[in-house]
Amino acid sequence: MPTADTTTTPTAATRRTRGEAIVEARGIGKSFGELEVLSDIDFRLAPSEVVCVIGPSGSGKSTLLRCLAFLEPYDHGSVHIDGQLLGYEERGGMRVRARESRIDAVRAPVGMVFQHFHLWPHRTALENVSEALRLVNGLSRRDAEAEGMAMLERVGLAERAGHFPESLSGGQKQRVAIARALAMQPRVMFFDEPTSALDPELVGEVLDVMKQLAHDGMTMAIVTHEMGFAAKVADRVVFMDQGRIVESGPPETLFRTPRSERLQQFLNTWRERHID
Amino acid sequence: MFDLALLWETRELILQGLWNTVWICFLGCLVALSLGLVLAALRLSSPRLFGYPVACYVELCRGTPLLVLLFLLYYGGPGIGLRLDAEIAGVTGIGLYGAGYFAEIYRGGFKSIPKGQLEAARMLGISPWHALIRIQIPQMLRLIVPPGTNQLIILVKESALISIISVDDLTKNATTIVNQTFNVIEPYLAVALLYWMIIELIARGGYALEKRLANRQPRHVAQPGDTAHAHG
Repeated sequence: MPTADTTTTPTAATRRTRGEAIVEARGIGKSFGELEVLSDIDFRLAPSEVVCVIGPSGSGKSTLLRCLAFLEPYDHGSVHIDGQLLGYEERGGMRVRARESRIDAVRAPVGMVFQHFHLWPHRTALENVSEALRLVNGLSRRDAEAEGMAMLERVGLAERAGHFPESLSGGQKQRVAIARALAMQPRVMFFDEPTSALDPELVGEVLDVMKQLAHDGMTMAIVTHEMGFAAKVADRVVFMDQGRIVESGPPETLFRTPRSERLQQFLNTWRERHID
Repeated sequence: MFDLALLWETRELILQGLWNTVWICFLGCLVALSLGLVLAALRLSSPRLFGYPVACYVELCRGTPLLVLLFLLYYGGPGIGLRLDAEIAGVTGIGLYGAGYFAEIYRGGFKSIPKGQLEAARMLGISPWHALIRIQIPQMLRLIVPPGTNQLIILVKESALISIISVDDLTKNATTIVNQTFNVIEPYLAVALLYWMIIELIARGGYALEKRLANRQPRHVAQPGDTAHAHG
């Protein structure tokens, strides 16, 4: 499996504390009916590693992230979070779907940010961030809100705490969604196209928050179309096409000297669109 | 000539009918609202287990007239050892019948909430029960106020059918007055006015609730991005 061993930047080198992977997927496959969307995927995420997953629409990259979080059950292979099998358990020599409480427990170290934010519209920004702290961690309203405010401050939105999502811009909504995930103190964050639903001028504020997270040592898997961001922030870039990982490696290698024809085509198309 | 004196003379019978209609409708609607919510929640939480039975129940309610259900409960009940007072049969009939409609109204409300909101809750470790109580129901309630109010109004109007199983409700007592005095217009007009007042109260209550919820929550449940297509 390709790793980022050849990366030379000091930041990346310090990040890549090699040890047990936080997330490790082996040979995962997923089909929707007849359509095979993921095929024999191996994916590893080491502590403090930032991996960007790129690829054309329909290549399976969002499905990969959703399978890693078990929002979509994978059909074959295994996903381990902190060494624990996610989504299934062995019973009488058979692999069966685990109880929801077990899935929640194994998945607890993972925070997720979605393309369309998925904030709860009937709750204010602060309530969105503090809700799980109360319901899951059992904090009092006061403590949960204090913690929630700290998270909103971290993403630069403390002054918007009392606003409902409807009155926030797309970028602000996404930052609230990031704060909501961070409030549960995840050890790894999944981002599913976090900027794809945003107006171009709002993309920067979200990417800045994500850069800061990466700088702070957060382990991150990011499905993105933001090549510039991937080049600057990722330790490793994974290129997917037709449900398979075609190429994987440090961004400077992958972007400058793509080995596969498919990645060359993809990058050429991207350059034509963005440099013209 | 419209005989107001007749209404004054029979006021006790009319007021007794009004009281019976009000409490039977109140309890019947309460049963309908609560049972409907339970049915919708069961159907959504475990479609494999409850989907088919709940769907059958809903179709049965929608496919049979309330009057037939009332006859079955009141006249057919004793045949299987179920002896209900006419009033209780009325409450049960309205409750069971309305629950089928409310289950569908609630289901529509639940379905309007984007799935992603629940995925976000799951990723935070929020249990399905907490998600139901804190995320789904508050949003669903806001969505179902207009159709729910409509359904309550329909149930109150249909409650006139309980007069046929000998409940002394507004309609039955009006008919009694008609039979005793041979005056048709006055009693039925008075009763129509009283039904209209009850329904107007429900409608205004619905508007007030809608307004109250709108002040607390944004106008649209779905966020702009929720309708966009996902990539990848």
